[in-house]
Amino acid sequence: MNCPSRESPNPFPALPAEPARETRVEGQAVPFSRRIRRIPGTILGAIPLLLLGGIVLTLVLSSGGQDFGLSFFGVDWNPSTAEPQDAVFGILTYVAGSVVTALPALVFALLLSLALAITLVVYVPVRWGVLLASFVDLLAGIPSVVYGIWGFWIVAPFFGTTLVPLLSRGVPASWGVCQSPASSGVGIPLAVFVLTLMIIPLTTLLLRDALRAVPRPLVEAGYALGATRWEVLRRIQIPYIRRAIGSAVLLGFGRAVGETVAVFMVIGDATVLPRNLCGLAYTMPGALVGQLDSAFIQPNYLHALVEMALVLFAITLAVNLLGRRYFPSTPGRRGATPVPPVGRGGP
Amino acid sequence: MSEESLRAKSGRSARRRAWDRWMGRLLPFSFAIAILPILDMIYWIGARALPTLTWTTLTTDPTGLSGGLYGPLVGTLDILALSTAISTVLGVAGAAWVAEFAGPRWADVCRTGANLLAGVPSIVVGYFGYFALVLYFGWGPSLLSGSVTLAIFLVPYIFRATDLAISGIPRDLREAALGLGASRGQYLTRVGLPVALPRILNSILLAASIGIGETAPLLYTAFFNNYPPTGLTSKTGYLTGLIWNYYDEPAHFGTEVTLAFQAAFLLLLIVIGLNVLVRVVSRRYERRLRGLFA
Repeated sequence: MNCPSRESPNPFPALPAEPARETRVEGQAVPFSRRIRRIPGTILGAIPLLLLGGIVLTLVLSSGGQDFGLSFFGVDWNPSTAEPQDAVFGILTYVAGSVVTALPALVFALLLSLALAITLVVYVPVRWGVLLASFVDLLAGIPSVVYGIWGFWIVAPFFGTTLVPLLSRGVPASWGVCQSPASSGVGIPLAVFVLTLMIIPLTTLLLRDALRAVPRPLVEAGYALGATRWEVLRRIQIPYIRRAIGSAVLLGFGRAVGETVAVFMVIGDATVLPRNLCGLAYTMPGALVGQLDSAFIQPNYLHALVEMALVLFAITLAVNLLGRRYFPSTPGRRGATPVPPVGRGGP
Repeated sequence: MSEESLRAKSGRSARRRAWDRWMGRLLPFSFAIAILPILDMIYWIGARALPTLTWTTLTTDPTGLSGGLYGPLVGTLDILALSTAISTVLGVAGAAWVAEFAGPRWADVCRTGANLLAGVPSIVVGYFGYFALVLYFGWGPSLLSGSVTLAIFLVPYIFRATDLAISGIPRDLREAALGLGASRGQYLTRVGLPVALPRILNSILLAASIGIGETAPLLYTAFFNNYPPTGLTSKTGYLTGLIWNYYDEPAHFGTEVTLAFQAAFLLLLIVIGLNVLVRVVSRRYERRLRGLFA
């Protein structure tokens, strides 16, 4: 297959977007009386924004504006010193723990969900597709504590006695990836495994919707030129959804980094800087949920936790803002399947 | 025309088609990879929960060492009813306004707000609930604080689904209503919302299934309670919290780990049930719509 050539990475520029739906009938300036009448509605529509603002305000106020200086981004986290004011709060351990679980999980989830989305859109007949899609939904609906208790009691022994030792043996020691004898099984690998399962629904549905949104004429043109399904996929559909893949990466990362309870239950919760991919760790949301009750009566501890919550909030906000730019209205934090649009006709 | 008859004789073409066929056979196995863990989960949680799951488990309160699930079960339903009600009112009202009345730019801002709120980690919402509702508003650890916090967490799902449902209504319908002289408010109440209702209901069910599985927003707002809540201000138990409290107790200590598994099993049942319900509702709805608009 020679066409499209390799020189131009995406030979099919995006079709011009459909004109935005007109919601305003009259084009003239809005009279003042009507403007007043609109205020309640405007507030109504801004409820999510107001709540977002409320969250920020609450966190900022409850942090007490305490300045921990540079040590806040350090490695040492020691809240229980003899004198409370000597306590050090460095969140680097938790940031590292979050990153070291979220990134591998993201890679696995992305590979798997790309395969899933391709299967759903290209290779599997419609009837099966519906059944399989509902399995993905189910994956999305399972509560995170259930993932947690399953991981802790049922998967952990397998990881501890079989998988992790096997990996440790398979990989040369000098790589520093995995050096772990038999263990209870909780730790980073288990957290990555559980996290992968938990973000698959989100990324799969994002990629599936993106693949479905590839204009039909482009795909048909590929088939008409004699390309196989795989070739159309490789040369037309995948290049077309590159930006959507970027979004899925960002949104998936946001989800993985914010996942709280399940990861807390399976990662071992040791405040140590992860040295390889096999030990115990502790994530930001995990520390937030696990340490708040010990911080109730120690103001600087409380402030440190709230500031860590702010950092986490900022990270997820940034990632979501970037990722959503290319997915203006795709629903589904839990990957809840959007009901197919009711509009008539094709593209 | 069958694939056979199209197959060219040249080796290169045969290779291309063989590759395509093999991808078509291999890629569906990704489903096996995704589904196997879930089947394993359902099987093992069932195996740990079912042997001692009886009716008394559901009708007695937990005691800390053993007992049943009654208190947290009632608490879960209370929290769920309250938070779903609150988030439905806020979400539907806001989204209906955005879909019908807001100018394009402001609508975009509002939608972005909903998307961002949906991306906030659950524990951060829990912190908000703890510092704003429990401490600042002085509601204390209570059913009310927990439900409102969870409602805030659920608003964006209902908001986005309602927005999509109303803006997705065929344009002709809206123009017909406006053309007959309906105001936009009349269109919304007489046509828009009724037509979108099944999808809105669907999103409420989905929000409920999300809400029933959340732990982090509730831990520091509803705290926990072995007994059913006695009022809006009483601490409240919930199934996810029971799992959270008991999951890592030493297994020989009492039956609370088994109790946690039973709670997990119950949650799985409820969530799967809600998922099936959503699917049935939406399928029936889509069929009806096809008749209406096709």
